[in-house]
Amino acid sequence: MEKTLSIVRYNPELDSQPHSQSYQVPVDNSTSVLDALLYIQEQLDPTLAFRWSCRMAICGSCSVMVNGIPKLGCKTFLRDYGDEVLLEPLAHFATEKDLVPDINVFLQHLQQVKPYLINPEQSEQPHKQSPQQLAKYRKFANCINCGLCYSACPQFGLNPEFLGPAALTLAQRYNLDSRDQGKAERMPELNGKNGVWGCTFVGFCSDVCPKHLDPAAAVNQGKVASATDFVISMFKP
Amino acid sequence: MKPVNTQPKRSDEPIWWALFSAGGVCFAVFLPGLMLLLGVLWPLGFLELSPLNYASLQQLAAFGYGIPALALVGACICLPLFHAAHRIHHGMHDLKLNTGLAGKLLCYGLAALLSATALALLWCVLKQPLV
Repeated sequence: MEKTLSIVRYNPELDSQPHSQSYQVPVDNSTSVLDALLYIQEQLDPTLAFRWSCRMAICGSCSVMVNGIPKLGCKTFLRDYGDEVLLEPLAHFATEKDLVPDINVFLQHLQQVKPYLINPEQSEQPHKQSPQQLAKYRKFANCINCGLCYSACPQFGLNPEFLGPAALTLAQRYNLDSRDQGKAERMPELNGKNGVWGCTFVGFCSDVCPKHLDPAAAVNQGKVASATDFVISMFKP
Repeated sequence: MKPVNTQPKRSDEPIWWALFSAGGVCFAVFLPGLMLLLGVLWPLGFLELSPLNYASLQQLAAFGYGIPALALVGACICLPLFHAAHRIHHGMHDLKLNTGLAGKLLCYGLAALLSATALALLWCVLKQPLV
């Protein structure tokens, strides 16, 4: 069986604007979007650019818009779609070429929330953690930085300075970690208008997350934390 | 790319978000019960009360229900007003209407004005001689 993949192509050095190009791809029950893209690049058109690496939904590289919804190419199967499928680069990001988005702004937002353990105790001993303490943040700890939630988030689309779902989820993940003492360093970023308060709880981020992290819940927990921080700050000199 | 401000100004959003959250909860918790009581059970005569009219409500408010009545108006009118104002304020942003401070003042100002009016009206009812 064959299906038609309509792919939005754009080479900023040659094209004045993006245009779409169609390819016929052989498809069986196990053909993923990434398989189809690799087929096109190897058999039909070596100039097609896209990112990929692991093929097993762990590297977060092959993010594309499939019929307007952000998806991981390797985890999306063409058997679930009609005869024509539209592939576009991730929404809300600039495009470097074809299906390759420029995700620098996302990487910058990740850095802004200091997504690592901050603990001034230079102890030789390992930091012990109980299963209960682990359970507090574990559900927010599996982010693969694929950026799908940024393409899903209308607020990030309107305001690229909004820290966005993945960064705010990571901030919450480390704030909830019993080994971490960096919450005071992260809160100023979260308290600003581009922090947790940029979110209007649309919740599409949680729908598209391929690792089922529920970023919307993490951001809302961040709002409670920021509101608490707001009240405490009123009583501080 | 613009340099990142690592110490951004604290947003005043917690105030509006707290009112929005409280309004949403009150709306969901109290309104259905209130609608059942005032909209269905009382008018249909299922409650052993005098007919539903201004005089009976005024009596109810006057005899022991003054402060609870004010609290109920706060919970069922004032807080949901701020809830609605918050939604409209953010809805305008979603529609790319860049209204800035004026939009904010209009939304929350209107909620505050209508809240004050609701409370003042009830206060007047409480202070009026009984019909």
